Amino acid sequence: MRELIGRYGTALAGFLLVAFFVAFAPNFATPLNIVNVLKDTSFLAILALGFTLAFTVAELDLSVAEVASLSAVVCGWLVQIQYPPAVAVAAALGVATVFGAANGFGVTRLRIPSLIMTLGTAAIAKGCAFMITQGVAFVGRWPTGFTGLARGNTLGLPNLVLWMAGVTLFAYVLVKWTRTGAHMVATGEADEAARLAGIATGRMKRIGLLLAGVCAGIMAVLLAANLSSAAPNMAGDYLLYAIAAVLLGMTMFEPGKPNVWGTVYAAFVLKVLGNGLVLLGAPYYVQDIVLGVIIIGSVAFSASAMKKAAFKV
Amino acid sequence: MTGSAPLLSLRGIGKSYGPVVAVREVDLDIHRGEVVAICGDNGAGKSSLIKVISGAEEPTSGEMSLKGERVRFASPHDALEKGVATIYQDLALAPRLSIAQNVFMGSELTRSVVLPFLRVLDKKRMASEAQRFLSQLSVAITDMARPVERLSGGQRQAVAISRALRWNAEIIIMDEPTAALGVKETALVLDLVRRLKADGRTIILISHNMRDVVALADRVVIMGAGRKFVDRPVEGLTPDDLTHMIMSGNARAA
Repeated sequence: MRELIGRYGTALAGFLLVAFFVAFAPNFATPLNIVNVLKDTSFLAILALGFTLAFTVAELDLSVAEVASLSAVVCGWLVQIQYPPAVAVAAALGVATVFGAANGFGVTRLRIPSLIMTLGTAAIAKGCAFMITQGVAFVGRWPTGFTGLARGNTLGLPNLVLWMAGVTLFAYVLVKWTRTGAHMVATGEADEAARLAGIATGRMKRIGLLLAGVCAGIMAVLLAANLSSAAPNMAGDYLLYAIAAVLLGMTMFEPGKPNVWGTVYAAFVLKVLGNGLVLLGAPYYVQDIVLGVIIIGSVAFSASAMKKAAFKV
Repeated sequence: MTGSAPLLSLRGIGKSYGPVVAVREVDLDIHRGEVVAICGDNGAGKSSLIKVISGAEEPTSGEMSLKGERVRFASPHDALEKGVATIYQDLALAPRLSIAQNVFMGSELTRSVVLPFLRVLDKKRMASEAQRFLSQLSVAITDMARPVERLSGGQRQAVAISRALRWNAEIIIMDEPTAALGVKETALVLDLVRRLKADGRTIILISHNMRDVVALADRVVIMGAGRKFVDRPVEGLTPDDLTHMIMSGNARAA
């Protein structure tokens, strides 16, 4: 029973939260609103999945949000000056990938703690984003070939939701079903043991941080395409949400471990919470307070769940 | 034992750390199927010697041969691939990962799906193989998905040994396998060592517990001040004799 609560308790709480808003928040349970929440979830989920992969190899990537901003700005800029969308998208993903690779290089080769390294690259990305835009935002009538990446539907499903599903599936298969994923998990769980078992732990850390960058790039392209605009601070707020999604996700399904389903489900719950609070007429700042409580509460919950597991011989 | 070529042979092995000489000119032959205990006080050089044999460090001088061929171990993993596995005290297991994940860490089994080059983890086979290794060691655990942190100390040793079996290691180095274990758990580990021996594996045992040494080893090597000063069969020795030899630095039993 205790095991079940540890595993599914917060997932159930999230479900009850949805049920609560369905019952009490006006216009929450309309198809349009639900689809909007799901679309909104996709940005957060994709970014948080990147964070999850970095966290799987026991590294923090605090640069994901600023890298996403920079990447969106690069994308928007190139679309604005009428480069083909494919070039803009490639450039955006390229920039994000370079940042991911740089984080991996700094952490494994230069032995800089990821907390410091990624704070540094976050500041660099932020500065570059402002440099490119000179402080303004790129807004325009962008080709539908580009905006359709986020706004269109395929087989009746919103493209955004399909992108989220694709990234989720990729991350899940990688972590659970491939040797590389198994090596990443082993590296994150017990660095020294993994090294002694012949796992190239440095390489695994670089892969985790690289993928965090790539996810930030994907999220950035979708964000710019969806809004038809790109601003140097457009993804900055996503950092805390991404961290909250990962930590809340760690309280469910595989308590104490970063896990793909937990992250995605938690991203959804966080977006439901934000949406529901707005519909109930709560002031905007309530969301931040709730977010802080969730971050702290999740870690407290995981810590106590882990202690119980260790004592239960 | 005598007459046959040694499985592992050390000649003139030395190891220095800058000006500090930890191991001096050690010759050592280890034969197939033997249990050799390496003893000595802290700082006597046994850890450094073991690091050389396990591939954790390269010797500063001397040479090693395995089955008659000269070998160099670039890393513990390199040694493992050549058939020399080391069971480290605590370092080698990931507590929160499952038994199967720990046994196959770094050498996971895969199977192909749809296309020959699309390979995914073969979790079923890893679980059944892990189970097989553990039952070889007579350890009755059935749930291979159980995290290692929920196992007893002796069972954890069995998981670590299973990893060596997975590599089909011929030589298994055990570093203080019974330290920090209770009476019952110690008995379990001693039993594990006996099973490995019965299975034809060669074991190098590092221990501070002289009763374990007398109970398990065929031969004892005692180190002092970086040199090997005792290398003889254990038969006829008591734990007190061993303690006396280590303390006095003298090869004669009390």
